[in-house]
Amino acid sequence: MTEPPKLTLAGKIVVLFIIGGCFLGAYYFFFYRKPVLQPAAPVQSEKAAKAPEAGLVEIGIAYGTEKKRWLEWAVKEFAETKDGQRIKVNLIPMGSLEGARAILSGDRRITVWSPASAVYKDVFVQEWTGKHGSNPIIKEENLALTPMVFVMWEERYKAFINKYQNLSFKTISRAIGEKGGWVAIAGKPEWGIFKFGHTNPNKSNSGMMALVLMAYDFHDQCQGLTLKDILNVDFQNWMQDLEMGTSGMLHSTGPMMRDMVLKGPSTYDAIFVYESLAIDYLKNAEGRWGTLKVVYPEKNSWNDNPWYLIDASWSSPDQRDASNRLLEFLMSEPIQKQSLVHGFRPGNPNVPVKFPDSPFVRYEKYGIKVDLTTVCEPPKAEVINNLIGSWLRYQRPK
Amino acid sequence: MEYTGAFGEILQLQSDGRKHLPFQRLLMLIVAVAAVIFLAGCKGDKPTGSPSAPAKAKKQTSKEHHTLELLFTYGSEKQAWIEEVTAQFNSEGRVTGSGKRIRVKAMPMGSGESIEGILSGRIKAHLTSPASAAFIKLGNAESQAKTGKDLVGATQNLVISPVVIAMWKPMAQALGWGKKPVGWSDILELARHPKGWATYGFPQWGTFKFGHTHPKFSNSGLISLFAEVYAGTGKVSGLTVEDVTDPKVGEYLEGIERTVVHYGRSTGFFGRKLFHNGPEYLSAAVLYENMVIESYSPKFDLPFPVVAIYPKEGTFWSDHPAGIVDRDWVTPDHRDAAKMYLDYLLDRPQQEKALKYGFRPADVEIPLASPIDPEHGVDPKEPMTTLEVPHVQVMEAILSVWKARKKHAEVVLVLDSSGSMKSQGKMKQAKEGSLRLLEMLGDDDRFSLLPFNDTIVWAIQGSLLREGRPKALQAIQSLFPSGGTAFYDAVDQAQGYLNDRTTHDRILAVVALTDGLDKNSRMTLDRLLKVIRTEGEAKTVRVFTIAYGSDADKKVLRAISDATQVTSYDGTPENIRKVCLDISTFF
Repeated sequence: MTEPPKLTLAGKIVVLFIIGGCFLGAYYFFFYRKPVLQPAAPVQSEKAAKAPEAGLVEIGIAYGTEKKRWLEWAVKEFAETKDGQRIKVNLIPMGSLEGARAILSGDRRITVWSPASAVYKDVFVQEWTGKHGSNPIIKEENLALTPMVFVMWEERYKAFINKYQNLSFKTISRAIGEKGGWVAIAGKPEWGIFKFGHTNPNKSNSGMMALVLMAYDFHDQCQGLTLKDILNVDFQNWMQDLEMGTSGMLHSTGPMMRDMVLKGPSTYDAIFVYESLAIDYLKNAEGRWGTLKVVYPEKNSWNDNPWYLIDASWSSPDQRDASNRLLEFLMSEPIQKQSLVHGFRPGNPNVPVKFPDSPFVRYEKYGIKVDLTTVCEPPKAEVINNLIGSWLRYQRPK
Repeated sequence: MEYTGAFGEILQLQSDGRKHLPFQRLLMLIVAVAAVIFLAGCKGDKPTGSPSAPAKAKKQTSKEHHTLELLFTYGSEKQAWIEEVTAQFNSEGRVTGSGKRIRVKAMPMGSGESIEGILSGRIKAHLTSPASAAFIKLGNAESQAKTGKDLVGATQNLVISPVVIAMWKPMAQALGWGKKPVGWSDILELARHPKGWATYGFPQWGTFKFGHTHPKFSNSGLISLFAEVYAGTGKVSGLTVEDVTDPKVGEYLEGIERTVVHYGRSTGFFGRKLFHNGPEYLSAAVLYENMVIESYSPKFDLPFPVVAIYPKEGTFWSDHPAGIVDRDWVTPDHRDAAKMYLDYLLDRPQQEKALKYGFRPADVEIPLASPIDPEHGVDPKEPMTTLEVPHVQVMEAILSVWKARKKHAEVVLVLDSSGSMKSQGKMKQAKEGSLRLLEMLGDDDRFSLLPFNDTIVWAIQGSLLREGRPKALQAIQSLFPSGGTAFYDAVDQAQGYLNDRTTHDRILAVVALTDGLDKNSRMTLDRLLKVIRTEGEAKTVRVFTIAYGSDADKKVLRAISDATQVTSYDGTPENIRKVCLDISTFF
């Protein structure tokens, strides 16, 4: 028997190196590559969680941020339902007027427009009809209601009332005009100038509501606001003085209310916002700066948070059906009850507002009340357009 | 089959109790095991063959493809908080919608520096958060003028903190703090008064020494100027360009700026200087509330507590807006990642951590609690009122007036021109850095150049840059390396020259660069340290040192800068321009 060929020592070393290399390679594949490939894993599982891709319908809701906390919660709940498994809801936060303008300019992401109120509906319908020759709204429903309120830091409210007896646009205008600000109002130089805020009327519904209710307050009427009333020189001068001293002008009401609670009376003494937002932030304010006082203007208006399903060429029958299913869910009693937690008055009449644990009962001490004094009529499109036009003329650069 | 045989044999061998395997059998066994492991390792992967070099390269590329780096520039005052929460974010391995793992690279820097860098394209940040919206406004205005679009999109506040006047408690009490409201006007009047603290019955405290950061680099510096201009006009809102350009307002501003010890790049750095150097260095500085809280940390050994004065006329909020940059290098993936990171920063656990660092959380659900309390020198119920942020044209006018009325500088550049500067392009880069420093100095600043080797000769002395800039530029460019090193003698001569000219009208500074050890000076280090040491108002010359390259004696240079209460820098031919830019922010 012949001896099998033997490897030299050097040969053995070379072979061992090669084998060592194999082990290292194997080790690399087994252990090191895991972190490299790891990122892909969650994506796969995320996709799996999103229900089958086939049959998935995507809809976009352009909504006013005053409903943010409630809607975000509701959409999460909806995702847990059978319909929610196949309907992807994109919440697109936009100032109420911004939403209308986006649809008019053909923003294909939007299936439903849900502004804070119907006050801009006429202008929107008029412009859409002029462009497309048909009514843009297929279906409408009021999700939840909320009136406008003044919100003011209680300590400063007391000092204000001591001087002016009531809080209205007329008295706010007087406070803004006081030379020396709080020195003249309450002998408090450390409070600085009087700082009143509302949102930008050219972007946000509550800012526009402020202008409308200002006009009603000035003319001491609650319906039939005309173009002549708006163009009245005395009104124009009065509104200009008031607006030149007004700060804020954010594009959306939710962030403005949050800003007041975040930065306190150093930034705003008083703001004009939705009752729902005031209720939603009352407790947060106490944890930061102190107690807020809520005051209803004598002449008020409802913000009914309408749901407008748009007859847009870019929305499919599936998307329209999906929108209706989401609407049905939002109007259901459990979801409507949750709107109360966020300070809204439910659009579903079967859900009561006044019961012991309701915020409308618990927060009475802050000035919250169920009944309004006078509810004014929404003005016509031409009145609104002229109010905004006037306001735009005297805006100094910010 | 063969492999099975090999396994069969090994079992048999073990049962036989034999201690050694023949090499060939061992080899076969190892190859078999390695092959099985390797094949298993390859399972599910692309059939790329053995783990050769190209395969490794491919895997590295794949790793790169699966990671998305998000560059986030932010104001350095929130560094401790951002570092803690970002490390946590990165460790969680979050992925974008397209499956890329997000890695946030968070870079602290002055607010102005960050916006300017992104505008010029030098810093390719995807997300940015200066200390306040004022810099976003300025950046967007400049971007609109150049490109027709904003630099930074919609923003969200990460945290907030009011701008305050931080002051040593006994000094604040002397002004009436705690008993009556104190304002910008009180502070600024004191700053303008030549008798300083003597007017309040404390002559032993000397003049009032005031400090704020450089307004072109740092938010709190810019805001200090707004407040000074408001105080000068007597207004609290509605500031106009005409108000700002009124010569009386300019004089008022000049009176205050004259008391400034020096400027600085970032508020965080400035605050820590105040805490380290004590009341003889600065009586008060414009800082953020969170920095006053930081001064209560055991790491500082303070002679007195520091308290926050919330000016009675109003102040500004440093509201830390964070927004996605609108530039070509920001891809949809970056936007996706930036949104996820922002949401993470705004989540309650991270916001609660911000409170721990002395910030007021942007999440209003979190009530204010310790350390935002009087035990840390601050008041959660302040500020009572704010000043209106001026519009962009007014801001630009303020910066322009400041440039003309600021405390000007007299700078001596002591530059090593010894033979060792020949190597590694050191001399060439040192000249580049010097030119950068010269570029950053204003027309009303004075400049001297003192090059040294074993001899010291003034190349330029006390030249007003309005006229002397071309000559200064030429002098820097004309230098060449040769000879030995008499560094101590050169520094002594430079500071002696400035000390003779001591005046409260200018910031007096020596910027001294050397790459080696002193071998030729008559002056000893000990004597030099005694000569240059800052002494209240008698000696105010600051000596910034740059240890250039690896042969420089960093310890010695640090001792020299420490003696004059400023910073020593580590310079290299690669970073010398940046170091010089950094030093220029003090003037």
